[in-house]
Amino acid sequence: MKQLRVAVDTGGTFTDFVVLDAASGAVEVFKVPSTRGVEADGIVAGLRGYLERTGAAGADVAFFSHGTTVGTNAILEENGARTGLLVTEGFRGIYEVGEQSRPYGATTYDLFFERPRPLVPARLTREVPERVLFDGSVLVELDEAATRGAIQELVARGVTSIAVTLLFSFRNPDHERRVGALIAEIAPHVNVSLSSDVAPQIREYYRLSTTVVNAYLNPKLEHYIDLLGERLTAAGCSAKQRYIMRSNGGVASFASAAKRSVQTILSGPAAGVVASCRLIAESGGFGNVVTFDMGGTSTDVALIEGGRPMRRGAGKVHGRDVLVPMLDIHTVAAGGGTIAFVDASGVLQVGPRSAGAQPGPVCYGRGGTEPTITDANLVLGVLAEESPLAGGTLRLDRAAAEEAIRVKIAEPLGLSVIAAARGIVEIVNVKMQEAIKVVSSNRGYDLRDFHLLAFGGAGPLHAAPIAEELGMRGVLVPAFPGVTSALGLLLSDVRHDYITSHLARIDTIDPASVRATFEALRAQGEAELVAEGFAADALRFEYSLDLRYVGQGYDLAVAVPEIPTSRDALHAARLAFDVEHQQLTGHAAPDELVEIVNYRMTAVAPVPHASIASPFTRATDLAAARLGERTTYVAGTEPAVTALYDRAKIPEGAEIVGPAILLQGDSTTVVGAGHRARVVALGQIEIRTGVHASTPAPELARA
Amino acid sequence: MIDPVTFQVVQSRLDGIVQEMQDSIFRTGYSTIIRESQDASCMLLDASGNVVGEHVVLPLHVSALPEVVRAVLRDFGDDINDGDAFITNHPYLAGVTHSMDMAVVTPVFNDGVLVAFCGSIAHKSDLGGVVPGTSYGAARELFQEGIQYPPVRYVAAGEVQRDIESIVRANSRTPDLVTGDIRGQIGVSRLGERRVRELFVKYGTATVLDAFAHMQDVTEARIRAILATWPDGTHEAASFVDTDGVRPDVRIRYHVRITKTGDRIHFDFTGCDDQAHGPVNIGPALARGCCYYALIAMVDPSLPNNAGVARVVEASFREGSVVNPRFPAPCCTYMAATTAVTEAMLVALSGFVPARRMAGNGGVGGLSITGKRTDGRAFVQYESIGSAYGGRATSDGVSGIAVLLSNTRCAPVEIVESEYPTRIRRFELVRDSGGAGKYRGGLAPRRVWEVLVDDAQLTLRGGKHDLPAVGIDGGADGALGSLVLNPGTPREKRLGSRFSGVKLMAGDLLQLEKAGGAGLGAPQARAFDAIVADVMDGYISRDAACADYGVERAALDAAVARLDAEHAEEAVNEGVPA
Repeated sequence: MKQLRVAVDTGGTFTDFVVLDAASGAVEVFKVPSTRGVEADGIVAGLRGYLERTGAAGADVAFFSHGTTVGTNAILEENGARTGLLVTEGFRGIYEVGEQSRPYGATTYDLFFERPRPLVPARLTREVPERVLFDGSVLVELDEAATRGAIQELVARGVTSIAVTLLFSFRNPDHERRVGALIAEIAPHVNVSLSSDVAPQIREYYRLSTTVVNAYLNPKLEHYIDLLGERLTAAGCSAKQRYIMRSNGGVASFASAAKRSVQTILSGPAAGVVASCRLIAESGGFGNVVTFDMGGTSTDVALIEGGRPMRRGAGKVHGRDVLVPMLDIHTVAAGGGTIAFVDASGVLQVGPRSAGAQPGPVCYGRGGTEPTITDANLVLGVLAEESPLAGGTLRLDRAAAEEAIRVKIAEPLGLSVIAAARGIVEIVNVKMQEAIKVVSSNRGYDLRDFHLLAFGGAGPLHAAPIAEELGMRGVLVPAFPGVTSALGLLLSDVRHDYITSHLARIDTIDPASVRATFEALRAQGEAELVAEGFAADALRFEYSLDLRYVGQGYDLAVAVPEIPTSRDALHAARLAFDVEHQQLTGHAAPDELVEIVNYRMTAVAPVPHASIASPFTRATDLAAARLGERTTYVAGTEPAVTALYDRAKIPEGAEIVGPAILLQGDSTTVVGAGHRARVVALGQIEIRTGVHASTPAPELARA
Repeated sequence: MIDPVTFQVVQSRLDGIVQEMQDSIFRTGYSTIIRESQDASCMLLDASGNVVGEHVVLPLHVSALPEVVRAVLRDFGDDINDGDAFITNHPYLAGVTHSMDMAVVTPVFNDGVLVAFCGSIAHKSDLGGVVPGTSYGAARELFQEGIQYPPVRYVAAGEVQRDIESIVRANSRTPDLVTGDIRGQIGVSRLGERRVRELFVKYGTATVLDAFAHMQDVTEARIRAILATWPDGTHEAASFVDTDGVRPDVRIRYHVRITKTGDRIHFDFTGCDDQAHGPVNIGPALARGCCYYALIAMVDPSLPNNAGVARVVEASFREGSVVNPRFPAPCCTYMAATTAVTEAMLVALSGFVPARRMAGNGGVGGLSITGKRTDGRAFVQYESIGSAYGGRATSDGVSGIAVLLSNTRCAPVEIVESEYPTRIRRFELVRDSGGAGKYRGGLAPRRVWEVLVDDAQLTLRGGKHDLPAVGIDGGADGALGSLVLNPGTPREKRLGSRFSGVKLMAGDLLQLEKAGGAGLGAPQARAFDAIVADVMDGYISRDAACADYGVERAALDAAVARLDAEHAEEAVNEGVPA
């Protein structure tokens, strides 16, 4: 009997599958077209196809893990639930004014600027008489009769979900909870999101916005998860372990994911970072990487130091402010489909517009007329007509790409077609470098200590020159760069984050109160995970304090190894804060007072992970991997004869000196002139560039 | 001549550097002004003070910093050295926006040659003067608007000049916040310096300097090419500030006459009023900054605000006027004045480009409450509340937003109450405050504070409390702004739009309503559905819908009832149990 662990990552164009047979260790990777709007159809079709192809049974599926775009798409397309909002009496302006400012940059000059439409219109907002103060004390008791009336009005107007955000509820949630209970009593079918549950943190607008997003997405995600569950069951898949990836890099059971939909909006990108962490943890010698996940319309970068990803507690996702724990992933709007053009001032611009999946680049022949990064790569010979993309399903038209670049870029600028294509790639590479700096050197990390871990369809195409320009140690390309995010789904633990806000000076607070706060959070986490079926003694807990200098605005999370119970332990956290502050901002103020802003606790339930041994058969002869050669412009505007290799057949230990191109079904890896590539642990390719290419390769753990 | 690819590469690098500086200044700011309101801008400039990198937060900061660099060059000439940092807040000697803003600039050397400057401008919580918070709405001369720092060397070759720092500290009611924020500004400058130097090393001095020059040429050429497509002619307009803060009944008139010939454009400000007694004067540099803003807004909002724009703008000013005052005329309420100048310009420019017409915007400005906490420590609470856009040629005005030249964030209620002895009682949009029109003006916010300590002082730099945002093409004016002390009580008192030092006692309520945006086009031409939607959202009252838009009461009530019923039915159809 097989023991199948199935991971499915839904993207805009393709749904990626990684299926691991835990019994035999065999891994299968494949893609099926995504079915936007009815995502479960594509998933179940892909799974059925696999089962039929391999003769496996639905009952063999022991574990199912899923990265979803349902939440993200509902925000982008504004088709979430009809949502109501309850706020403290007198404060409906919090949502309508928001941050008050316009986005910085060109928008400042735009007289025709529009805000994103509110997810809850004012007509579905009601005020409830109550008021809590900054210290948690109650100035005005909740008026229950008025609250009932407000709820009934919203329900009468057809809301299926209600967000509740009352002032200072992060300090004292009693009123919000009571409002929640009243909603449950009056309208048990209505989904409820309380800000004190969803984002119990100071700054009312951000807490409210997060709660509204959650309420807006919950019914939709709940419906989707229910449907997917039923369809999986109908397909014979009886796995009890069914998980959804969340933005924090942990998976959650179907049921808990549906309650905190706002935490799933970076589901796919988070899975890529998790995969990266595990890859480098298990391959040894590569503790520090910047991930570089370049897809069709955007690129995600994230920093992993010592095997640990960076995290943050807030961000703007598709124009909506959300205060939720997420992996610190920086997204730049540039990918293979990004359009290059000459602007009205005669300046060459690359992005941010994208041809997306439809019509796509000119060379896809689906009606695209504006040259893209992919077209430039085709003209430069980095991609080739004879090497179709996406596992052979996508044929490329080089003549069309060349013509588009000639007419739209080269001729207006007086450049050759090759120089124009080269220029487009160089400009996008610089934008990528700036994005990588945002998560690394801008925060005080030295890129010379980092590898660039390249995946996504286009990551390995661009990574080597970018790493070289930045002086990074080299590039790592995982075994299956095109489905790395899906792989991450097989490598994640269940992870719930908890937070509470409570301002107090760290030098004068009673350590017993710190302990009590953390213990309360732990009890909550333990209870929830036990309720999900995990054994209490299998759980792991992580603690951190958000600290800041008294009077300073932004706080930093400082991890504490265990619950601090003494003044010494708190002082140690304070010293760690100074170090972190120095690292991040270039200065620290050891003489200033420090205060605690938030307490964070993460409860982790370990899930058995897939093994990620090298999937490739061990080859011994590099010549057997050689597919021939072609003329390319991988490094400049001069033609270069470039060797072609079958990625899967390159033996360990063999070294390839660029220019070379390594081909595989889900991606293409470019080794620039003078770069040196070799296979390292787990079937990954390491490319050393610049000064690192001329120094001997360090000994590394083998697969 | 620099090749197009390298040019774009250098520009992308400069963008990256400025964004990094900008992120860092907000992150490391101490005062709520920087970290919550985000009243701070960073820039890169060439060795003569032309902007080469900006990520606009506040447009007028972008036009002020070049003046600061030129002032530093004028005063220090050859004596500018690696590791120096210069500060100034002087509106006359250094063209700073107003003396609450502190500019910090640092030189960048490559191979011993001065190649660029990094700089920032950030509002300060207090730099001395008659009133806490420094901004004195009734000032009669510059010397009442805080301590004036000409360009001075705050850091020499990496060493903070303790004597200068002591003077700054001794002249602030909040010395720690001020020096903390200045430290942050110097920090971001150092960051910028490091990265700009890397740029010069990597691409070579000649190439980067070429790129600096080329980006200005490109911007200038682009604007001139667009100007050439506009019809030649002259348009003029005036806008008013309702008081100068000293003489309550005197309106101040800002007038501009714009003549466009071929690819040239001239802004004639000689028709402005004589300089005001109160602080609504601005210098020519700021008036020119308004020209840059209006021109970019009308030509192409994505254009960089660099010296290429400055080269296009020809302007004339009359000495002794409100836009070219004689030293030491007061000038701290610059936002009201520059907004009036900009609005006049937008109206005049839309004579050339009717497709970009916009009705008048709501008022700008800030409010501060200052005093002592119960434990005796001083506090300066400064908040900048947005207003609303006027109706635009194709859309309604945006509600509850910082308009035009202003772009600060709203301080969170929960932060304000945690840090200051005040309590916020209401924060909401004011119904019917948007001027009626085919495209309605945006609604303005209302915020109500309760003061929790005795002997606090209130300062307001407001606008449009006496003269409304003006409607165009038949659109109605926006609602007036107001500040009312203890509304609805026997002690109710209406205050003006610009004053300082009003004494407050514990329990006093302050109700600030900002002015709303004006409408564009006749209200009768507004789509009925849009009126119904506004009524349902509470943006216009049923009475106003009938009176201002000419809607029949019965038809309106029926439409609202029908939509409400439809929603309830949809919900049932979606399978929600009733």
